[in-house]
Order: sequence, then structure tokens, then C-alpha cells
Amino acid sequence: MRTTRILMVIAAISLGAGLYLTFTSPTDRLQGEFTRIVNIHAPSMWVAFLAFGVTALASIMWLIFKRTAWDRLAEASVETGVIFTATGLFTGMVWGQAVWGRAWDWADPRMASTAVMFFVYIGYLALRKAIPDPIMRARRSAILGAIAVIQVPLVYFSVNLFRSLHQTQSIRPDGATMPDAMVVALLVNFVAFTLLYVALTAARIQVAKAEEERAAETVPAGDAVTTPMLSEVEDV
Amino acid sequence: MSFWDQAVEIARVDLQVERRIGDVLRIILPFAVVALLVFPLALGIDLAAITRIGPAVFWAIGVLFGMQVALRQAADDRPERRDLYALLGVDPAARFVGRSMSGSLLMLGFLLALMVATLLLYSPRLPEGWPIPAAAAILLTSIGLTELGTLAGEVTAGLRNRTALASLIVAPLAIPLVLGGAQTLESLARDTGILPWLLLLFATDLALAVAGVGLARPIEEASR
Repeated sequence: MRTTRILMVIAAISLGAGLYLTFTSPTDRLQGEFTRIVNIHAPSMWVAFLAFGVTALASIMWLIFKRTAWDRLAEASVETGVIFTATGLFTGMVWGQAVWGRAWDWADPRMASTAVMFFVYIGYLALRKAIPDPIMRARRSAILGAIAVIQVPLVYFSVNLFRSLHQTQSIRPDGATMPDAMVVALLVNFVAFTLLYVALTAARIQVAKAEEERAAETVPAGDAVTTPMLSEVEDV
Repeated sequence: MSFWDQAVEIARVDLQVERRIGDVLRIILPFAVVALLVFPLALGIDLAAITRIGPAVFWAIGVLFGMQVALRQAADDRPERRDLYALLGVDPAARFVGRSMSGSLLMLGFLLALMVATLLLYSPRLPEGWPIPAAAAILLTSIGLTELGTLAGEVTAGLRNRTALASLIVAPLAIPLVLGGAQTLESLARDTGILPWLLLLFATDLALAVAGVGLARPIEEASR
């Protein structure tokens, strides 16, 4: 619990630094002020990919070791990943409306494939909700979590595989395609969002533990009723 | 009994059950043809537009109703049947392969029948030499869609909302198959090369087959 709080504080401080750098970095000549949205959009999508990768790993680990901790991590990571995917999609649409003149452009396969990935994990969460038994839930969602990750590389590389409006990676091994101040702001936001992901996932794991403890203490309604014995009934 | 003998036997029994129940032929195929009729009615009498959207409608309806083929009643193993397979010592991977074989055959028949209906109802403009690439794309899509449906069916086995939930899982994951299938004919028309799209279909089929066989035992445990 204490570790989660410390993580939350660190994430909040780094998010503050990221926001400060976002609003003090230079303005793009063509995109104007809207270029700042990228500092939220790109880190959100990075965290979404990271979260779904962690889910796949945790799912495989559950299938091998069958330990509840891996299932909790998979669930927490998916929930956090879905929130960040939604944030990435929304900020991408706001940026697209401002720069391309339309919020949703079918000429951008990254958008469509990201939406598809979002729904794959909505399906994962729906599957979890549909299964009351914890062991069966962990088993089935681990299988889906291990399979669903196939989408992630397709989404990431869609801008390279298809003709697309979406720009390709801005920071590459051979250098960045933008000024240093912008790169610094973007990188600080990447770190801040990653820390936020770690903090939120840790907090969700705590909630999952508390839910399990509560479920273990709860007496099912039927258990409070005992069958009346014939010997106890007087007026037969 | 060898692995392949088990797989073939499961596929044979599956097809026999399907022949008796007739879900695909009597319910899903007519429903899909009705859906083909709905599109032009909703669009209005615009012959040029109807001709143009024909192949796209075929793939959309094919994949959406194909899910129903993959999740048909005959493919839903009851716990008693699963117990019987386990007692007989049937390899879970052979069960997945057998189920995929029978499902792919049914899916192929379903998609071919749907294609004939699309050709009759929409008269789409097709590029020269389309039958062989279209057949290859339909075959590979059938296999992938069945593998995906089999996996989703196993993961949702016995759940109250199985059909809706499995469809939600299959639909987004089937996008590479829709893309590969639809773009094969598009690329043929634009003369830009169909090989990458057929390779995408093949790679998806292969990845799903590896996942299905590799995860067969956990799937077997999960569906109990």
C-alpha cells in the first residue's frame, strides 16, 4: 500500500514536469499549438502497447505457474491499457480534427487498427466479467490474453506496412525528426506515463486483493438458511 | 489411434452431427443471403453503387456470419462429451485440429455459396483471372476464421452469453483475415501484387494454428 502511494506521488511529479515541458516546448510551424497533443497521444499509446504486452506475459506465466498474482497483474494491466488506449484514440481524434480536418480518417490504418485492438481488450474484460469462478476466469482469460497480443505488432507497424496519413516513428536509431526541446518534452512524458501506468496497475492489484479478501469473508445467501428438520416441526 | 487418426475421426463425427442438425445449411446460410439482400434495399436502387460494393459486402457478411458457422451448435461440446473425450484419451491438440478441419470445410462451403449469391445479386465487376486468387483467399480465410472461432468457442464454453461474447472476441481478431481476403481482389484489380495479402492470411492461419495446438491442454482444462 505504501509503495503504491510512493509510486503515485512519483508519477504525479513526473506528470507535472511533463506537462510543464509540453507547454514550454516550441510550437510547430505547420501544426501550431496542436502539436502539444502529441505529448499526451504518443505516450498514451506507448503505455497501451506496454500494458497489453505485460498482460500477455502475465497470462503465459499464469498458464505455467498457476499463481493468482499473475492473474491479478494481467487484469490490472488490461484495465489500465484500455484506459490509455481510449486516451490515445481520443487525443488522436482531436489532433486529427485540428490538423487533417477530420477526426476519423480511413486513410490512416493506425487509427482503425488501434480501435480494433481496443475492442479486443474490451472483449477480454467482458469475458472476465462473465465468469464467476476465479480459477476458470483466470484460465480462460490467460488463454485470451496470450492470443490477443498478436494484434499489438500489427497496430504498431501498420504505419510502415500500409500507405498511411499517420506519420512514422519520429524518434529513430538514426536520430529524431524534431527539435531537441520537443524530443526532451516527449521523452519526459513517456517516462511520466510509464510511471503512471506502474502506479495505476499497482493500485488496481491492491483493489483486486481487497476484493478477493472480501469475497472470501462473504457468506453466500443460501448458507444462512438451514433446512428444517421434521423432528423440529410440531404441527404436522 | 495416432494423432491424425483422432483428428480425422473428430472431424468426421462433427460433420455427421452437422449433417443431422443442419445449422449452417438451413439457418445461417439463408440468414446471410437475407443480409445480402438488405444492403441494396437500404442503399436504394443505385446499380453502379451496388456493383461497386459487392465484394466488400461479401467479405463483411462472410466474416460476420462465418462466426456463427464457427460457433454453431454442433461445435459446442457439452461437459459430458468433453469427459468422454478425456476418458478415451483423445489428445486435446487433435481435438482442436479435428474441429478446425470440419469447421474449415463447412466455412469453405458457406463462403463459396455466399460468393455465388453475391455474384448473382450484385453482379460485381471482377478483375480478369479472379477465380483462382479468390478461391485461395476464401480457403485461407475459412481456415483462419474457423481456428479463431474454435478458440473463442472453447474460451467461452458453457457460459450463458456464449454466442455474443465469442462474437465480440472473434470480430476484432478477424480483421487481418478480412483485410487479407478483401485486398487480394483489390490488388489483383490494381495489379499491385496479391502475394503480400495471401501471405498475411497464411501467417494469421499459422499463428492461430500454433496458438491452438500449443494452448490445447490449458484450453481443455479451461473449458471444464
